[in-house]
Amino acid sequence: MQLTRRSFLKLTGATAAAATLASVGLNKASASTIDPLRIKYTKEYTTICTFCGVGCGVVCHVRDGVIVNAEGDPDHPINEGTLCSKGSSHYNISYIYDEKGKPKPNPNRLTHVLYRAPGSSSYEEKDWDWALDTIARRIKDTRDQNYVESVNVDGRQVTVNRTEAISWLGSAFCTDEENYLFHKMARAMGVINIDHCARL
Amino acid sequence: MAQLICLIDASKCIGCRACQVACKQWNQLPAEATTFEGSYENPPRFSAQTWMKVVYREHEEDGNVVFLMSKQGCMHCTDAACMQACPTGALYRTEFGTVNVDTVKCIGCNYCVAACPFNVIGFDRLTNKAQKCTFCYDRLNAGLQPACANACPTGSIQFGDYRELIDQAQDRVDELKAAGKTNATMYGLDEMDGTAMLYVLADKPEKYGLPVDPQVSLQTRIWSALFKPFRVLVIVAVAFGLWVNRSHSKKIEQAKSEAK
Repeated sequence: MQLTRRSFLKLTGATAAAATLASVGLNKASASTIDPLRIKYTKEYTTICTFCGVGCGVVCHVRDGVIVNAEGDPDHPINEGTLCSKGSSHYNISYIYDEKGKPKPNPNRLTHVLYRAPGSSSYEEKDWDWALDTIARRIKDTRDQNYVESVNVDGRQVTVNRTEAISWLGSAFCTDEENYLFHKMARAMGVINIDHCARL
Repeated sequence: MAQLICLIDASKCIGCRACQVACKQWNQLPAEATTFEGSYENPPRFSAQTWMKVVYREHEEDGNVVFLMSKQGCMHCTDAACMQACPTGALYRTEFGTVNVDTVKCIGCNYCVAACPFNVIGFDRLTNKAQKCTFCYDRLNAGLQPACANACPTGSIQFGDYRELIDQAQDRVDELKAAGKTNATMYGLDEMDGTAMLYVLADKPEKYGLPVDPQVSLQTRIWSALFKPFRVLVIVAVAFGLWVNRSHSKKIEQAKSEAK
C-alpha cells in the first residue's frame, strides 16, 4: 500500500478520533495508573534512627534483601510513628531517585573502610579485618603504655587502674543497648573520658 | 465531601518539613535544584516533583515578626476546578472522595494547572502529564494513613474521620481564640464546597498564602457546562469531515483518471 501524505493524515486523524471516543464517557480509572503498594510482600525490620540522640524508632521494609521503604515505627514509644525531615529520608541513604523517579544506589554512600594514615592527605581503601585489627592493636598499645595503677593523693597511694590517654565517644547512631555495651567495654579497659554525641 | 480527611492545624506546625520529605520519599519524587528566593520556603513552587510543601509566610505585627507555616498541597476539593476543566476525564474522584490524575487518560493539555485556584498541580514536561498529590491513594487502599500525616511529629497533620476531625478543629479554633488569636479560623469547610484538607489557621487565610475565597472560575464553569458535552459532537463532526473529504477526493481522482 502506498502511503501518501493525504492518507497518512487521514489515518492519524481517524486514530485520534477513535482514541478520544474511547475515552469519552468512561470515568473509571485505568487500573494501570494505580501503582501497587510499594511495601507489598516486604518483611518489616525495626531499627533506630541514626541521625540524633532522640532515638526514634524506624521500620525498614525489606524485599529479597533490598530495602524498599523506611518510615516511623508506630509501636515505638519515643516517636509513635512520626519522623523528622532527616529521619523521613532514611531510604535515600541507600537509594536516590533519578530524574524519572527510579531508585538508583546512592553514590555517596560509604560501603567500605576508608583509612587516612597519620600525616597523609588522602584516603585509602581497606578491608574490615584490617581496620578492626588495627583499631584493637592501637587501643591495646595506647592503654598499656599509659596505664596508671595508682596515684598519690595527699601522701596516700590510691588505686585507680585507669588510662587517661584514650577518650571514648559513644554514638547516637547506635541503640541504647549497644551504647551500654560500649560503655561497659570502655570502663573495663580503664577509659575514664567517656562521652556521647547525642546533642538534643 | 471526603469521608477520610486530613486536619492540618497550622498553629501546631513548626516548619520541620518532615511531611515534605516523607511525601517525596513515599512517592519516589526526585529532588529539584533550586536557588534562594528570599524565603525559607523551598522549592519555591509546586511542580511535578513537588506535590506538597511547607509554606512559610512572615509579616509584621505590633513591631514583632510573626512567622506562619503550614503544609500546603492539593486540597481534594468537593467542587474541584481541575475535574471540571479536564477534557478527557483524566482527573477523577476516588472511592475515598479524593481527586486523582489518571495518567493514561491525561493528554497534557494543562487546563487543570490553569484552572486550579490553589496552583498546586504540577506539569511533568518529560512525560507530558499533570501530576499532583494523590492523598496517598495506595496507602489508603492498604489501610495506612498518608505519608505526610504519618511523618508529622507535632500532630499538625492528623488523618481521620471527617466528623470527628471537624469537631476537633472547631475545639481548636475556640481554644486559639480564647488564647488571644482572635483571627483564628477554619479553612476548607465551605471553600470549594469542602476540601479533604481541613485547616485550622491561627490567622487570616491570606496571611498563610491561601486564597481568601477560592472559586471555580466562570470560564471553567462555562467550559464544563456548555462546551464539554459537545466533545462527542466535535468528534462526530471530524469523522464526518474526513469521510466527506475522502469521498470528494475519490471523485476527483476518478475524474482525473477518466480525463486521461
